[in-house]
Amino acid sequence: MRSIKILERVLATIPIMFGVAIIVFFFIRLTPGDPVDIMMGQGGAISAGELDRLREEFHLNEPLHIQLWYFLRDAARGDLGYSYVLKQPVTSLIAERLPATIELAVGALLFSLVIALPIGVISAVRQNSWLDRLSMSTAFLGISMPGFWLGIILILLFSVQLRWLPVQGRISLGTGFQERTGYFVLDSLLTGNFAALKSSLLHLVLPSITLGAPVAAVIARVLRSSMLETLRSDYVTLARSKGVAESWVVIKHALRNAMIPTITVVGLQVGILLGGNMVIETVFGWPGLGRMVVKAIFDRDFPLIQGTVMIYAFTFVMANLIVDVLYTYLNPRIRMQ
Amino acid sequence: MESGKPLLEVRNLNSVFPSNGKIVRAVSDVSFALAEGQILGVVGESGCGKSTLLLSLLRLIRYPGRVESGEMLFREKNIIELSDREMRDLRGKEISMIFQDPLSTLNPAFTVGEQIRESLRLHNIVSSNKLPWPFDGLRRAQEKERVLQIMNEVGIPSPMDRYASYPHQFSGGMQQRTLIAIALACSPALLLADEPTTALDVTIQAQILNLMKRINEDRGTAIILVTHDLGLASEFCDRIAVMYAGRFVEQGTVDEIVENPQHPYTQGLLNCRPRIGERDQTIRPIPGNVPSLANLPNGCAFAPRCSYVKEVCETGPVPMFETDPGHLNRCLITSEYRRQPDWDWGVVVGRERA
Repeated sequence: MRSIKILERVLATIPIMFGVAIIVFFFIRLTPGDPVDIMMGQGGAISAGELDRLREEFHLNEPLHIQLWYFLRDAARGDLGYSYVLKQPVTSLIAERLPATIELAVGALLFSLVIALPIGVISAVRQNSWLDRLSMSTAFLGISMPGFWLGIILILLFSVQLRWLPVQGRISLGTGFQERTGYFVLDSLLTGNFAALKSSLLHLVLPSITLGAPVAAVIARVLRSSMLETLRSDYVTLARSKGVAESWVVIKHALRNAMIPTITVVGLQVGILLGGNMVIETVFGWPGLGRMVVKAIFDRDFPLIQGTVMIYAFTFVMANLIVDVLYTYLNPRIRMQ
Repeated sequence: MESGKPLLEVRNLNSVFPSNGKIVRAVSDVSFALAEGQILGVVGESGCGKSTLLLSLLRLIRYPGRVESGEMLFREKNIIELSDREMRDLRGKEISMIFQDPLSTLNPAFTVGEQIRESLRLHNIVSSNKLPWPFDGLRRAQEKERVLQIMNEVGIPSPMDRYASYPHQFSGGMQQRTLIAIALACSPALLLADEPTTALDVTIQAQILNLMKRINEDRGTAIILVTHDLGLASEFCDRIAVMYAGRFVEQGTVDEIVENPQHPYTQGLLNCRPRIGERDQTIRPIPGNVPSLANLPNGCAFAPRCSYVKEVCETGPVPMFETDPGHLNRCLITSEYRRQPDWDWGVVVGRERA
C-alpha cells in the first residue's frame, strides 16, 4: 500500500514540473534585456541581418506561444535546449555541474545535522542552562549571518591566517585525481586515491560549514522546541515510570517524536541548500550549478536558466517526497491503514 | 494482613513546587500506611495534590518540583534515599503507575505490544540473557509470548492481531487496558492509579474498575486509587483518605468515612452527592473556593469555608487526631478531644505533634 502511495506522489510531480516550466518560461522573458543584444555586447559592428539570423536560430523571432510549445515539447523528450552562450546542450552542462552542487549540499546537510541534532537535544534537556543559552544565541547568529560574509571570514581565518584549509575549488592539483562520476569524494574512493580523497574532503569543509550554518541553526531551534514539548509529555513520564534510564527516555521516547516536526523543516531547508548556494559557490569558486545559473541570468541565456530552474524545482520536490516517506515511518498516525 | 510491617509507609511527606518566588505546597504533611493487597482511595478536588502525591512516590515530580521532606518506606527502605539505579529498578517492577489520559500517555510512535514488552525487557522479567540485537530472537519471542498473555489477561481481544497496532488505532477503553497491561507487566506489588477512569465513559469505567479489582484479588497487588469521585472510591477501596489543599484531612475505612464522616470537608462532600430514592433532597454545595496552594492560610486550610469554624482553627497548623483506632481526623472542632473536660488547644496540639 505504501509503495502505491509513493508512486502516486511521484506521479504528482509531473503537473508540478509542468507548472514550474511555464512560470520560469514567462518570468525570464519578462526581465528586460534581449539575449542577442547582450551576446553581441557594445561592439556595434554587427549587421541587422546577423542579429536576425541569431534570433531565428534561437527561435526568438517566433511568437511566445510557439516558443513555449517548442520548449515544452523538447523538455518532455528530456531535451532542455541549447545554451545560447556556451553552445552546448543544457542537459550536458547541467550533468557536468550538478554533482558539484549535490556534493556541496550533502556536505552542508551532514554538517548541519551533526551540529544541530546534539545541540537541539542537549539544549532541551538542559533548558536554560548556560549551554542552552550559548547555543541558542549562536544559532540566532547563524540564522542572521549572511553566507558570503561568513564564508569570507572563514577563508580569512582558516585558509589565509592558519593555512589549514584550501581557499577555493574542489580539489588540489597534483593528486592524480581521475574523474568518474563527478562526485569527487566518491571518485577518489572508487579509484582508491587517498591523496585525492583527503584533498576533496578538505575542500568541502569551509563551503559546507558556510552553507550549512544557517540550516543547522534552524534545525537546532526547531528540534529544541519540539524536544521541550515531547519531554513534558505524558508518555515520557510513563517511560520514566517503567524504569527506563534517562538517556533512553530522551533518545528513544522523546527524540523519536520530536523528529516528526524537525524532519519537515529539514526537507524545506533543502531548498536553501540548493537556492542559497549561488553566493557560496561564488565565494568559494565552487564549480556548481549556482555559479553557472547566475552567469546565465546575466547573459539572458534562456534555455540554460530554464533548465537549471527545472532541476532545482525537481530536486526540491524529490527532497520533500523523501521527507514524506520518512514522515510516515516516524509517525504511524498518518500511515495508511 | 495486620501482622508484620506494611508494604508502604509514608511519614510526613511534603512536596513543593517553587513558582515565581513563592512555594506551592502540593503535598503537606501526608502520612499513611498501606498493607500488602490493600486498596487505599485518595479523594479530593482537582488540584489538591493527589497526582503529585503519586508522582512523589515514584520520585517523578517534574522539575523544579521536589520532595521537600518526609519518609516513604517501601518494604522498609526509604524511597528518598535510593540511588537513581535502585530507583529505576523499583519503578515499573515493584511500583507502577496507571495514568489518567491513556491516549496522551501511550507513545504514539511505538506499537502497543512493544510498549508492554519494554517493561519486561528493562527488568529482565522473562529472561536475563543479554545478547544484543539481532541475536536476541529467542528472548524477544519469549517476551512476546508473555505480552500476549498479559494483553489477554487485561481483556484486550485477539492480542495476536493487536500486538502490532498503534495506540491511535485503539478505543479509549482499549488504551486504558494497554496502560494497565504495561503497569502489570512485571507483577508489581503496588499499583498507583491516577484517576484511571476519568477519561472513559461509564460502562467502560465499570469494566476497568472490575479489572483492577480482579487484579487486586488474584495477585494481591496493593492499589492506591486517586479519584475525585467519593462514590467510586467507597465502592472500590478498603480505606479512604480525603485530601484537601495538599493535606489528608480525614482517613479511615470506607464505612467510617461514609457512615461517620467527621471532618467538615468530608461531610460537605457527602452532602453534595445526590442520593437515590430520596425525593426533594437538597444538594448543598460547599461554599467558597479551594485556597491557592501557594498561599495557604496559617491554620486549617478549610477554615474559610467551614461552618463550624472557631477562632482557634486559624491560630496554627492542625494535627491529625486519631478519633477511633485507625480513623484520623484533622479538625479541632469535630474531633473527640473537644468533648474532654481538660481540652486545651496548646496541650492537645503539643501532645499530638510530639
